Amino acid sequence: MAAARPIYLDHQATTPVDPRVVDAMLPYFTEHFGNAASRQHVFGWKADEAVEHARHQVARLVGARAKEIVFTSGATEANTLALRGAVQARRDRGAHVVTVATEHKAVLDTCARLAREGCEVTVLPVEPDGRLDPGRFADALRPDTVVASVMAANNEIGVLQPLAALAAACRARGVWLHTDAVQAAGHVPVDVEALGVDLASFSAHKMYGPKGVGALYVRRSPRVTLEPQVVGGGQEQGLRAGTLNVPGIVGLGAAAAMAREGLAAEMPRVAALRDRLLAGLERALDGVAVSGSRTERLPHNLHVRFAGVDGEALMTSLADDLAVSAGSACASGSREPSHVMTALGVDVVDRWGAVRFGLGRGTTADEIDRAVACVVERVTRLRAMSPVGAGVRA
Amino acid sequence: MTGTAYSGAVRARCRDPRRAGGWPDGTPGVGTGERGSLDAGAWTRVQVHVADGSNVIDDARFRVFGCSAALASASWAADALVGRSLDEARALGAAAIAAALDLPADKVAMAALAAEAASEAVRDWERRMGAGDWGLGPGATAVGAPGQDSQATR
Repeated sequence: MAAARPIYLDHQATTPVDPRVVDAMLPYFTEHFGNAASRQHVFGWKADEAVEHARHQVARLVGARAKEIVFTSGATEANTLALRGAVQARRDRGAHVVTVATEHKAVLDTCARLAREGCEVTVLPVEPDGRLDPGRFADALRPDTVVASVMAANNEIGVLQPLAALAAACRARGVWLHTDAVQAAGHVPVDVEALGVDLASFSAHKMYGPKGVGALYVRRSPRVTLEPQVVGGGQEQGLRAGTLNVPGIVGLGAAAAMAREGLAAEMPRVAALRDRLLAGLERALDGVAVSGSRTERLPHNLHVRFAGVDGEALMTSLADDLAVSAGSACASGSREPSHVMTALGVDVVDRWGAVRFGLGRGTTADEIDRAVACVVERVTRLRAMSPVGAGVRA
Repeated sequence: MTGTAYSGAVRARCRDPRRAGGWPDGTPGVGTGERGSLDAGAWTRVQVHVADGSNVIDDARFRVFGCSAALASASWAADALVGRSLDEARALGAAAIAAALDLPADKVAMAALAAEAASEAVRDWERRMGAGDWGLGPGATAVGAPGQDSQATR
């Protein structure tokens, strides 16, 4: 069953760079190598022109204006700039931050650091389907709340949050709403204007662009002003200093344009494959539980728990055939289940059985069928050596 | 969702978990040791079989619920136990398992589960041997041949 190369079903970790994106980037390494900040000669003009074109491409994907896009080294930096930048810029208002237990560590760890520095941070729980209750969210907003951060789509379980309702609650109270839209952008429609969010983070490598480049949307009207976190050069309207990664930015722009063009066709295609994957697993195996809402989720994500099986061991046993992600990590002998599984209130033993399948643009029905066969075989084998279900409860 | 980088030895054990399975409780000649808990995310059972009148383990099996390191440790330990005397089996330590599998430092606890379960299995065999107690009540039916339970997972 082993293929020459494993089937790649880990597109929420990263995506391959689309060859058309590579083609768009290549001239900016060699022929058009100028520094976009060199305003005095053609080399700089050419680079600057490419950066501004990419800015428009990214803005169009997410319903923003070009001036509202700030390029960064990726989404982690964008999240940092949004949260730390907002807290530092709004000291007059207060020092309260609201976020959610299922956020990416890039947000949770930034919030934890803000808490150590004197901020008060409220971390809201989610419902069993992974969604945030807008009423509970609104209740958590206070006159001294400066920013709230709620991801558009969860990176583990793919669940979409009701951003429009959350944004309305924020707007009514003068709280800025930041969203980590890394997993959503380019995969489902994201329109910052329609949603009403104030800050949004994006990453190129989650949508067939290169690694090491991302963007932060910063609303102009009503105006959101941030304190920069990287200074010294004044690039990106003074919000993010440093020589611009022109080839990377060109790649992000090209990836955004392609995602926008392909979105309407790709969403149902990949959702059908995801459903085929789940149906195949459920047909052959008992004890398959989908994590999070079955309807409010990314079309290319399937997060399931196999009862009686450890997801990490399953992932390793599959590694020759299939590249997937497990939902838990261990440290220092004491294992920690995924914070997302914990937040969902999944039974403590079942938390270990989580596996994330991330489908992509290149995924085919044949790959899905082969993946199902591999997973069924391995789960069956692991269950045969598992005490769970064998009447043993240690 | 980052994970541990495992050695080829661990990955090979996960692909092909040799000696998976076990004997039903009370099987004559079988000692059983268990360590860990499901709630903590790692549980290992090691069983050894010693033929009547012998002092050498002639078969060993494991069951496990846990990460790749726990699975590989239990499988490697079961392999290593076969052919050992009981004293040699008792001497099997976590360090040897961890070294053989090139486990990361933060995974040595998984090797310890296997080593402790193996030691406990030997003690259990000795205890039952001394007591003549294999848990078989009157009228107990014959159990399957050693290893039969493991066929599905070999």
